[in-house]
Amino acid sequence: MTNALEIYQLLPKTNCKQCGKATCMAFAAALLSREVVVDDCPPLKEDKFKENYEKLSEIITPAGEASESGMIVHTEKCIGCGNCVVACPVNVAEDPYGAGSGKAPTSDNVILRVEDGVVRLSNVSQCRRFGKNKILCNGCIVTCPTKAIEFV
Amino acid sequence: MGFGQFLKAPEYDIKIITYRDVFQSTALESSGCGDEYAERSAVILLDKGDMKKMVLKDGRKAVLKNNFGRIVVHLRPSSYEEGHEGIGYMTNSPWSNALVSSETGGSGVPKFKMIKVSISDAKDEKVTSFDE
Amino acid sequence: MEKEYYVCTGCGLLCDDIEIELDGGKVSKVNNACLKGVARLKECNRPAECSIDGAPASLDDAIIEAARILKEADSPVIFGMGNSTSQAQKNAIEVAKRTGAYFDDTSSFCQGPVVEAILEGSIRTCTLDEVKDKADVIVYWGADPSNSHPRHLSKYTYFPRGKERQRGWEEDRTAICIDVRKSDTATICGDKFYQIPPQADEELLNALTNGLSGKVPKVSFGMGPKKILELANMLKKAEFGVICVGLGLVYSLEEIEPLVRLMDKLNEVSNFHLIPMVGQYNMRGSNHNLHEETGYINRVKFTGNDVEHGAHCSVVELLRTRTVDAALIIGSDPMSSLPGSIAKELLDIPVITIDPCNTLTSRKAKVSIPAATAGSECGGTAVRMDGVEVEFKAMTETDRMCDAEILERIMGEL
Ligand code: SF4
Ligand code: SF4
Ligand code: SF4
Repeated sequence: MTNALEIYQLLPKTNCKQCGKATCMAFAAALLSREVVVDDCPPLKEDKFKENYEKLSEIITPAGEASESGMIVHTEKCIGCGNCVVACPVNVAEDPYGAGSGKAPTSDNVILRVEDGVVRLSNVSQCRRFGKNKILCNGCIVTCPTKAIEFV
Repeated sequence: MGFGQFLKAPEYDIKIITYRDVFQSTALESSGCGDEYAERSAVILLDKGDMKKMVLKDGRKAVLKNNFGRIVVHLRPSSYEEGHEGIGYMTNSPWSNALVSSETGGSGVPKFKMIKVSISDAKDEKVTSFDE
Repeated sequence: MEKEYYVCTGCGLLCDDIEIELDGGKVSKVNNACLKGVARLKECNRPAECSIDGAPASLDDAIIEAARILKEADSPVIFGMGNSTSQAQKNAIEVAKRTGAYFDDTSSFCQGPVVEAILEGSIRTCTLDEVKDKADVIVYWGADPSNSHPRHLSKYTYFPRGKERQRGWEEDRTAICIDVRKSDTATICGDKFYQIPPQADEELLNALTNGLSGKVPKVSFGMGPKKILELANMLKKAEFGVICVGLGLVYSLEEIEPLVRLMDKLNEVSNFHLIPMVGQYNMRGSNHNLHEETGYINRVKFTGNDVEHGAHCSVVELLRTRTVDAALIIGSDPMSSLPGSIAKELLDIPVITIDPCNTLTSRKAKVSIPAATAGSECGGTAVRMDGVEVEFKAMTETDRMCDAEILERIMGEL
């Protein structure tokens, strides 16, 4: 199980407040409760934190649990076909010649990608079903052959 | 312990359609002799109505046999919405192949997709293993 | 930093955009590949052992013993090939020539007839890249790529944006599935799924040809002329159509002619292509290599300078009629993939296997020689299901030999 301290260790630990929290520890706690997303910490996106950023993204959107947009991936059903990766409109907009063209994603801004044979989420806050201009996108649901993606 | 054990289990004729399953192929890539592969291959999926008619129960095992072979596999109801009376589904594997005819009419191509067998309750028999 | 991409040898799609991570010289993470590909590229749980008569042996001894068996046999068969590099296939053909062996590959009871028709020019084909850039109507017939070639729809046919297909799958493309069961692929095709009874493929092929010729299409099962014409019309209206042919269709046809006739008709009234859903990553390469050498794609026997060809040279008939007295099996597991009633004949003759993994066949073999896994441990070239040659490089180093080299060594001992 992940705890706030483990998350804290991966943050910049500068208490820069850019995320809107008073300290990095507070941000870690907020991350743990899914109140914020990894992307809400701007310095984390700098190159030197790339590894930490990736680790955190992995810890924070663990498979099988609902992400903050209500998206659930049943990893045990996923076959890594990439249909959702290629069909997702955000992926297409962010990476038209990579993910949108059926190839390996070339942008870090995609929502869906396949790692080790199973879909992995990042930047879920960009999902069209989320945020103030939300629409009922179902691109990743209807294209999935095994019904591995679900929204709650 | 009843009379049942002395009676021959009733037999029914069905056709088997084979299909490919990515989880099964994946298990094959990891190890064709592994337990997971066997778990995913030695299974027949039957129409729910058929199971009722044949008094076969989910989770039990079935004997499938014809002139070419005899195997014991797990028995499950299929999850297809539409019925498929008289047809059972199995993934391609040594288990389904054990039942494929050796008659080819000299064509060099076995009739992989036309498997006719009789099915009956396997009682206490163990699932066939090719891993001896 | 430029990313380095590798090729997946998990199936005949040969996806060329695989990213990997290594840990201690082993592939620890495989990205962008499907589940099946990941399993292929990571090590097998039970690698093959080097053995003679079930007892551990040195590689050198195993190679010498293999050569001896082949030399002493009157009519050996060399079989497999779908999981070998093109170089290994060429070497195997040389071994067959030297030993006067029968030579056959898995296409013999898979996609052989279709690939043959394509190589002979009687069926029109195209590349998957063209499908991606142009195709608006995609038909999967007797195929369930979601389970056999999981990235087929996402990488090339249905979902990706292509040069002339910029608006996405909902608007730009139609995917149709014809099958005996509602497969995962059929589910994606939604109301464009046409279910037919087992063995009814030929009837529907003919009905479609009739429908496209202005006749009333009739079939004996519950699909009315209206429904068939609706399907025929979708095909007719295609700007660039492709039929992806799976084993379900191939196995249910006695002859390939009804399919050829439909393709001809479609190309009179429309613009259609056909791609065989080749399973093993280099099955098609084996067909090409043998074709180059002999004019046949499979099922041959070498005798001196002569080449004999026909169904009687197929591995199934050879075993069934007990014609062969030794077998060299490369990257294939006939004990699991052939009907049990035929495969059992392998138990009565000396068998040599060359395979990375422990298989039912390798365990029964007289000589089992472990090979490196093509794709992860050794590089080479292979031919994708659409006939495009793909080059690939190794991901890791290994002390196991590649199958091409093992065959070269056996050749040296002959
Ligand atoms: S709902 Fe739409 S935007 Fe959100 S992940 Fe799925 S396809 Fe992408
Ligand atoms: S479409 Fe479904 S099975 Fe395919 S990668 Fe996405 S979640 Fe997995
Ligand atoms: S579709 Fe085939 S080639 Fe592509 S990643 Fe999957 S197994 Fe490998």
